[in-house]
Amino acid sequence: MSDTKLKSRPESVLEDPGARAVATLYAESYLSAAAANGQSAPEQELDSFVDDVLGRFTEFAAILMSDAVGRDEKLDLINRVVSVRSSEFFANFLRVLARHGRLDMLPVIREVVKRLQEQAAGKQRVRVRVARSLSQTAREQVRTSLRQAFGFDPILEESVDPALLGGMVLQVGDTVFDSSLRSRLKTLQGRLVEKAFNEIQSGRDRFSHPEGD
Amino acid sequence: MKFKADEIASVIQKEIEDFRGLMQTAEVGRVIEVGDGIARCTGLSTVMSGEMVEFSGGTRGFAFNLEENSVGVVILGDYLKIKEGDEVRSTGKLLSVPVGEALLGRMVDPLGVALDGRGPVITSESRPVEWQAAGVAERQPVKEPLQTGIKAIDAMTPIGRGQRELIIGDRKTGKTAIAIDTILNQKGTGVICVYVACGQRASSIAGVVEVLRQNGALDYTIVVAATSSDPAPLQYIAPYAGAAMAEYFMYQGKHTLVVYDDLSKQAVAYRQLSLLMKRPPGREAFPGDVFYCHSRLLERAVKLNKELGGGSMTALPIIETLEGEVSAYIPTNVISITDGQIYLEPDLFWKGIRPAINVGISVSRVGGNAQTKAMKKIAGSLRLDLAAFRELEAFAQLGTELDKATQAQLDRGYRMVELLKQPQYGPLHVADQVVAIYAGTKGYFDKVPVNRVQAVERELHEFIRTEHADMRDKLVAEAALTDEIEGMLKKALEAFVARQAAKG
Repeated sequence: MSDTKLKSRPESVLEDPGARAVATLYAESYLSAAAANGQSAPEQELDSFVDDVLGRFTEFAAILMSDAVGRDEKLDLINRVVSVRSSEFFANFLRVLARHGRLDMLPVIREVVKRLQEQAAGKQRVRVRVARSLSQTAREQVRTSLRQAFGFDPILEESVDPALLGGMVLQVGDTVFDSSLRSRLKTLQGRLVEKAFNEIQSGRDRFSHPEGD
Repeated sequence: MKFKADEIASVIQKEIEDFRGLMQTAEVGRVIEVGDGIARCTGLSTVMSGEMVEFSGGTRGFAFNLEENSVGVVILGDYLKIKEGDEVRSTGKLLSVPVGEALLGRMVDPLGVALDGRGPVITSESRPVEWQAAGVAERQPVKEPLQTGIKAIDAMTPIGRGQRELIIGDRKTGKTAIAIDTILNQKGTGVICVYVACGQRASSIAGVVEVLRQNGALDYTIVVAATSSDPAPLQYIAPYAGAAMAEYFMYQGKHTLVVYDDLSKQAVAYRQLSLLMKRPPGREAFPGDVFYCHSRLLERAVKLNKELGGGSMTALPIIETLEGEVSAYIPTNVISITDGQIYLEPDLFWKGIRPAINVGISVSRVGGNAQTKAMKKIAGSLRLDLAAFRELEAFAQLGTELDKATQAQLDRGYRMVELLKQPQYGPLHVADQVVAIYAGTKGYFDKVPVNRVQAVERELHEFIRTEHADMRDKLVAEAALTDEIEGMLKKALEAFVARQAAKG
């Protein structure tokens, strides 16, 4: 999967909001055009193109995404190489992208297509960060309680971060639910420091002149 | 003091036993771009404009630009530790600063963190930095005087409590000196002062604090310092933070004075932020809302009505001009917002007329309402007399032959100019000012050589204080020049003139 290759860039670069907004536009149009044309599984062809063609023939991908190659040449290439082997609908989609110089967005568009389809199916991604990998029962528990709390079908994206010490951190959309041991300890530390600080302050005030120095 | 280890251990144990780690919920985003004191973040989809956010390292910032796909965050503090991909949390709170009595006598940065090395500021109260100014119904007209202790100002451009009086002039013309003298003169009047240093050199701020300390003015003063080496965001919020600190006292019914030194540097800091945030530049590359930036700040100066306690906040914004250019963008803006301006000129300053106030174009739109009766009575004609004197002086320089009356008027004028000079850090009580100006306008100084006027004036104050203290006390108490007091004053002045003549 091309995912491994993309990971070499920092995760946040992928989140370039401008590019994502554009990709969302293309992804939405792709899906609605597919529905109008009676395409049953438009994501499969997109997946296959990104993984099996672009992923395997990196030089071909480089030609398609390069700015050094002109628009007409890219269109020619799509006509000769892709359109004879793909559905006419998908070839048209590629031509639109080529005409607008957005072929380099294919991986992002594919990502967004996947998200949109998940959303349509009532699913949502939830990032789960844990100190140790979850057992199957714990995973089911998390899934059930998320379903009960939010009313959607969660897709868990697990990652293990030993620095959390224990507990877990859930992220749904932009909201983070943090019940890790690390942040609990941090809160406790803050309170202890504050207490000690007040003690010291009152001790200091006891010895100083009330009128100031 | 010795710590008892087991005592502390038991306290900690109890804390841990009682500790219920609740789940923390927060809205987060990620930094996608950072530099020059600003960061662009994704996520944070419900963040409010002006809301405080926290970066993963603990640095704070506030949401400045809410865009379609990202949020522009202004970083308050060290931005070099923030990296791309860092987590940002919204806090649900507006940017606030600590306020209260604990701040008096302290020097803090615009976030309320102590800078004077005397430990942290302990106060439980805080106020949002941005606060809606009092409305029309909550105000009353400005009519109580705020004495600056400077003869030229109190007599000709009087400042009232709740007024906004601009101090404008080139560099090195004594703008800060006027503000500092005004703060010094508030000693014993119950007026709480806030000095906001924005974009100043750290050395000059240290100098100001030292002067305040030496004169015992630090006890009722808060110094908010954002030096020129502080990041632009801190310089930008410093005046608002100072206003918030003063407002706390104002809404308790107390009188406050805030000096913004200076707003041209704040405008420059705001311009930097706006340009980095890609807001479109306008005239002189300032953003379009730089006017609002100052107007909403100065509008917070107010005299509250009786129901709200009758407190007041007087603002003395300072603007530095370049080569006397008052028609530049920021000076015209602030002139139009304020209720008058004190214009300082380098020419006068180098001629030795200090404070170097150009009385011709300095005005106070509140006018005589903000003067005591005594001052109003004697200062009424002073401005016109001085204007007439300036005209005559121009003629006299042409070497025209002058008649006796004109020559007398000229001589009186020279002495009045001399009388309005005043040394730095030497504010005068309004009663002393009345005595001096009365003596000048009624001709009691006419026999004194021009170069000795200041020395004789000092002797006069000494004379009144030692030998006619009853008259001075009466003047202080009544604050009006009744016939009785005027009679006593006349007698005292005649005695003084006689003594001077005898000394010869």
